[in-house]
Amino acid sequence: MGFQTGIKSSLRKASGFLSKNALKTFMIIGLGLSSVSAFAQTKQITGKVTDAKDGSAIFGATVTASGGATKQATQTSADGTFTLNAPVSSTKLTITYVGYDKQELTIGSKTNFSVSLVSNAQDLNAVVVTGYGGAKKKDLTGAVTSLTPRDFNQGTISTPSGLLQGKVAGLEVTASNGQPGAANLVQLRGNSSVFTGSDPLYVIDGIPLDGRSVRVGFSTPFGGSTGSDPLIYVNTNDIGQVDIQKDASSTAIYGSRGSNGVIQYTFKKATPGTTRVDANATFGITAGLMKKYDILSHDQFVSALGKYGVSGQNYGGNYDATKQIQAHGVSQSYNLAFSGGSDLGNFRASFLGSKQNGLLLKDYLEKYVGTLRGNYKFLDQKLTVDFSLIVANVNQSLAPIANNPGSQGNIISAALSWNPTRRFDSAGAYIIPANGSGNPIAFSDATSDIANSTNIVGSIAASYKILKNLEYKFVYGANHSVYGENYNVAGWLGGFNGISGQGYGAILNSVLNSQDITHTLDYKTNFGKINLEVLAGFDYYRTQLNANIVTGTGFNFNLNQANRVPILYTSVIQNANSQTPAQAFVEPVTEIQSEFARVNLSYASKYYLTGTIRADGSNKFGSNNNTGVFPSGAFKWVLKQEDFLKDSKFISNLELRASYGTTGNSSFSAGSAQSQFSYPSFNAANQSVVGNPDLKWEKTKQTDIGLNFSLLEGKIYGTFDYYHKNTSQTLTQEPVIQPGPSGVFYTNLNDNLINSGIELGIGVSIISKPNISWDINGNVAYNHNIIKNYINPLTGLPIQFITGTVDGQGVSGSLAQEITNNLPLDEWYLKHFSGFDAKGNQIVSANPSVAGDPNPHTIAGLGTTFRYKQLTAQLNFGAQFNYLIYNNTATNITNLAGISNGRNVDLNAYNSAESANDGVQVSDRFLESGNYVKLRNASLSYSVGNVGQYIKGLKVFVNGNNLFVITKYSGFDPEVNTNKSANSVPSRSLEYLPYPTPRTFSLGLGFSL
Amino acid sequence: MKSYRNLLKIGILVPGLILGFGCTKLDQQLGNTLSPSQAATTISAALLLQGAYNDLAGSFQGQDQVFSLEENSTDESLVPTRAGDWDDNGVWRVVHNHTWTADHSQVLNVFNSLNKINFDATNVLSFSPTAEQAAEARFLRAMALYYLLDLYGQFPIRNPGDNLLNPPTVQTGAAASSFIISELNAVIPVLSASNGTTHATPDAAKVLLMHALLQRGAWATPASPTFADADMLQVISLGQSIMSSGKYSYNKDYFANFNVTNSTSPELILAYPNTSGAAVAGGIPNSSPQGRWMMTLHYNSYGHPGQGIYTNAGWNGFSTISDFYNSFNPNQATAPFVYGPADTLADTRMGGRFRADNTPYSGLRPGLLVGQQYDEKGAVRYDRKGNLLAFQPDISPDMKETGSNLEITGIRGVKYVPDFSKADGTYYNTNSGNWLVLMRYPDVVLMVAEAKMRSTSATDNAGALALVNGLRAARGAAPFTSMTLAPASNIVDDKAAPNTLIGERGRELWWESYRRTDLIRFGLFNTIWQYKPSDAPKYLVFPIPTQALASNPNLKQNTGY
Repeated sequence: MGFQTGIKSSLRKASGFLSKNALKTFMIIGLGLSSVSAFAQTKQITGKVTDAKDGSAIFGATVTASGGATKQATQTSADGTFTLNAPVSSTKLTITYVGYDKQELTIGSKTNFSVSLVSNAQDLNAVVVTGYGGAKKKDLTGAVTSLTPRDFNQGTISTPSGLLQGKVAGLEVTASNGQPGAANLVQLRGNSSVFTGSDPLYVIDGIPLDGRSVRVGFSTPFGGSTGSDPLIYVNTNDIGQVDIQKDASSTAIYGSRGSNGVIQYTFKKATPGTTRVDANATFGITAGLMKKYDILSHDQFVSALGKYGVSGQNYGGNYDATKQIQAHGVSQSYNLAFSGGSDLGNFRASFLGSKQNGLLLKDYLEKYVGTLRGNYKFLDQKLTVDFSLIVANVNQSLAPIANNPGSQGNIISAALSWNPTRRFDSAGAYIIPANGSGNPIAFSDATSDIANSTNIVGSIAASYKILKNLEYKFVYGANHSVYGENYNVAGWLGGFNGISGQGYGAILNSVLNSQDITHTLDYKTNFGKINLEVLAGFDYYRTQLNANIVTGTGFNFNLNQANRVPILYTSVIQNANSQTPAQAFVEPVTEIQSEFARVNLSYASKYYLTGTIRADGSNKFGSNNNTGVFPSGAFKWVLKQEDFLKDSKFISNLELRASYGTTGNSSFSAGSAQSQFSYPSFNAANQSVVGNPDLKWEKTKQTDIGLNFSLLEGKIYGTFDYYHKNTSQTLTQEPVIQPGPSGVFYTNLNDNLINSGIELGIGVSIISKPNISWDINGNVAYNHNIIKNYINPLTGLPIQFITGTVDGQGVSGSLAQEITNNLPLDEWYLKHFSGFDAKGNQIVSANPSVAGDPNPHTIAGLGTTFRYKQLTAQLNFGAQFNYLIYNNTATNITNLAGISNGRNVDLNAYNSAESANDGVQVSDRFLESGNYVKLRNASLSYSVGNVGQYIKGLKVFVNGNNLFVITKYSGFDPEVNTNKSANSVPSRSLEYLPYPTPRTFSLGLGFSL
Repeated sequence: MKSYRNLLKIGILVPGLILGFGCTKLDQQLGNTLSPSQAATTISAALLLQGAYNDLAGSFQGQDQVFSLEENSTDESLVPTRAGDWDDNGVWRVVHNHTWTADHSQVLNVFNSLNKINFDATNVLSFSPTAEQAAEARFLRAMALYYLLDLYGQFPIRNPGDNLLNPPTVQTGAAASSFIISELNAVIPVLSASNGTTHATPDAAKVLLMHALLQRGAWATPASPTFADADMLQVISLGQSIMSSGKYSYNKDYFANFNVTNSTSPELILAYPNTSGAAVAGGIPNSSPQGRWMMTLHYNSYGHPGQGIYTNAGWNGFSTISDFYNSFNPNQATAPFVYGPADTLADTRMGGRFRADNTPYSGLRPGLLVGQQYDEKGAVRYDRKGNLLAFQPDISPDMKETGSNLEITGIRGVKYVPDFSKADGTYYNTNSGNWLVLMRYPDVVLMVAEAKMRSTSATDNAGALALVNGLRAARGAAPFTSMTLAPASNIVDDKAAPNTLIGERGRELWWESYRRTDLIRFGLFNTIWQYKPSDAPKYLVFPIPTQALASNPNLKQNTGY
């Protein structure tokens, strides 16, 4: 009965506070097991496998007994325990689990084993997802970074991109603002496109996505709406792995969509074995601003009234509008995942219900996401069927923030410029000051902006082993997203032309449909030391985004604050006196049809060669350029396998990589190659687009030289890359050669947009002991971007695009950036400020000149995990250096002139020699260094272990996000990128009234059943 | 060997798969737009023609479009920077003091918007138009080319159906003006006289032709304009055919040419229609005429802050100079801004009178506003700083207002009368119903008078004086006893005895986008006036915008830029 004692003792060990009844149940299970094993020449080996880091049970680890007559293997159950009936002659017990170091133990006479596995960030056998397939890390030739959940940022993060922020060398993720679910700028290795999207290609479980959010921006009376992240609907708890493909060799298989890199999201799969349930719940609050905007405090404001001789503006109170616009509701998130099945058939289903409150009043993000994944095998495992389905409903209430409002029409501008001595209301009625600031509380109360999207992403794949070495695979994937937004401003809100006394309502609807069908054949073989894999395939992709909008003004109700009904204008849009004609937008369907092939050849695990080619036919291309061909090649030399390194104790692995290839970018507006006529209104028509039958993709040639290394048995590991990306035939929107339709047409130039840089990622395992461990990993990347030969082919003159709209009162038509030959993209182009004259007026040069680079040159991330027994602490820092931000808020909203009208003003201006009657001018005075170091998130978790009879692996945690930032920047957050494109020329690093970044805290627990 | 066989199978299978599943024909079907071949069968010339008419709003409505280049560059208008307001990168001030460059945003935007009319009108000719439609399209194109030539000294022009990726040819000099003149001569007999005031009529084409003939010598040598006698005789005969048609007469109420019911004014020859409260009416988008008063009115010029609903009456920008104001000879009477409804003593074109469609609702008395402003109850108004809202004639010499009076400097010009036609007496601050006036009868009369004075073979100063005095009488202004074309050395009419034709054009047509062209023709554009030093002759034409120059090698930058 020794084994029973063994189980008992291990159970006791594992869970000190099991109740007696629970113990009894386990003993009965144990007895049952023992009766099955009473056959043949076997002995029963039992034990438990835990994570050395936090002692949590490892579920699904493979335990193999070998050395005897036959091998025998099993997998651990949800509580980490295993029971193996091994041949008595077995000598060796091997425990393996993906992502952890293999452990080998001698069996001897022991029958019970407590095994703690050490996680290994450098598991060379881990499978990395590549385009249309996968490869073991050790066989990869390209520059790919693979992350699993333990590498992700922790805490309140609403988008998948947020998980990766600061985690990958060369990947920049900059949130456009602090709203939950806000769009992120995501760029791999710099900006390699002037006009077309610079976002990488997103692939979810093998299905390439459109990359656009179904949320279509539209113009409200207060300016263009801010965007949402295209992957806002993903349950971030479901992501099991992210593979970031950076070089041409790894992205060329995506051809004309590969030049901005590829991010592959792979969802968690069931681990074959016992059915299990994972649950977690999180509660969070927003605790205020991460950083205050530098405006005058109440006391400073009062003394400013005196300093500038302003009378009649001290109302005697003390009110902080930036506090009043904040809400501090409790955010909640509940996630439940079921998984189970065997090697022959398994599934994982997860459900998320969450509501994340934003920092501002009436702002939240609700997500209901169901995810289902399955894998089933038939016909003697020759046929495999995989399916995956995400069904998500995302409901947002959006605070009134726009990208380009004038002096009013944004809750942030109203709050920043609010007279801090003034009440917000009087006798129940809002005070609408006549000083142009607007009342932020009234503004929030009077607006309602509710957005709802339903997103379905599904795929089904069937693969069939035609021969032992030959597999055919068919994949069909589809994304259907539907979006609706109802935007209302009540007519009782005072102070707004076109709205006050009238009201405004807009109903927006949009639909995004994309589909992808692939067929691939995969052949693997080996001749002696030579391994060969050949993949060939066909891909058909189509996508379309449609939208329509109805707006109206002039309603019969809610025109008086005291007499309001809780009905939205958008519910009775027919009541509008003035209904703007409905606008519809139907995009031409984009179709891409491709053939591709990839060959992987290796010799003795020492020399690796990869060759990839893809031919894309796209109906977006002009009729004279139907097909593009994108080849690439890569070579890897594993020096560690050479005799001179084989025995090195210091160097555990050393690999040298080189790749070169051509990829494309064709994310220009569908239909741009064709001339188009439009109906702008009833009884009117005109030609709206100048077609260009020669239009084609942008072509990026990328060279990458990299090094993978691992020292001292993997205690120090890392990668180093040098890359040079040369984008030519860039898609440029040239102004139409007048006379012509208004606007621009697309053309390819004979130019070179160069991004070159270096990336270093390094990890150090400082302590790695069962009870205590400490890891640090960091990355730093330097990129330099410049455009050359940017010349108009007709005139031979340099092309210059001015962009970066500076908005607000008194600066209409001012632009701050230029894109022109021999400069980085979006270089600042501003008049020079050289101080104040005797009257306190700004001295500003007559003409603008080149004033610096808005693109961060250096991006760094640092993460550290410290564990002592069951307690784990994790910190993630992020930093960016060498770039300049233009503070449009300080130029226009908080400029000193506001003090004369009783508006609050900028602290820097107050401390300067400026006169309160000075004019507003756009100049490099408002250009600020964006350098920052930020503690993005910190978490502390405690692994309680098993509790009671059913609860296993209980873990409790607290997280903090955006805890602090060290910066000289005067705005809310140096990590900012308000969309200020002018004539659809993209801008970079302007700040204008962004949704402030909140500091959030959350606590939660997770466990399994 | 086996492996090779497998490879062979792949070789067979892959093309098979591609043939089996692939090969959708990659022709992109457009969504809500039409390809040229679809347009050819579906879109009629009538729709394209209306599209071109709708373009007129783009060029002629906005205060930053043709209006700004034609008016802010003269003594009639300027926009001082007012602390946090109206700097706009200095664009307004450099137009007034003649220091603009080829990168000026308005120089570019006007070039593009006029060329949009040029293009859309040309496109009509590719769609089998009727003779009438073709004539209207050619009129619209001639109008765009007239302004392009006048502002930039040259214009690009395409033939119908040209490849838009190729740079078009450019016409300049005598050839350019002859082309416009011959086009107008060609369409006058074809255009329908029953087109009304919203479409091209023979009269509208005649008015444009008169302008082109008067200006031809100024376009040829802007620094020293000449006037061919044949051209002057044609101006006179064209003008007299309009005057003798009996269709037009002077409106007793000058500002009824610009109020919400101005569509019925007997002075109207060509206009862009708007409907109160409608963003689009009959397919014609509202041109936002409210901008024409909002650009000049103070924030507090009207509105009801006490009632919870506070409307921004205006943007507090555009002003005129006191020398121009004084050319109306306000001293003929007591201060004009206290006139009563029955006052008949002074030039009505200064305004300042009680208007039933405005004053009871807002206290406003449209026209040139100077001095204290009152609300509808007669109480004084204040600016946002607490000063009395009393507009002051003087502007800071550098056009940058930095004093505590910065909100009230400058005489304001409310020519378009705010639209208070809502049933409850509140105001359409969007989609106002005033029609945009493009051509008006008094301009014809003044051109005839000018041609009579300039003609060498049929000089008729007395006839010219009679025409001008007829107009002055209709406006309540004292008649001239004699008249010259322009003041001897100075742009400013003699305050005590204004008696020049250029002065009269200014008083009648102020803020109607004629002033720059007129000053050039009268040889006064480079002279000195308030807040503007004398300048070089290169400023007689605007530069070709840098962006346009970079895309069309046939455009040549104007001398000096």
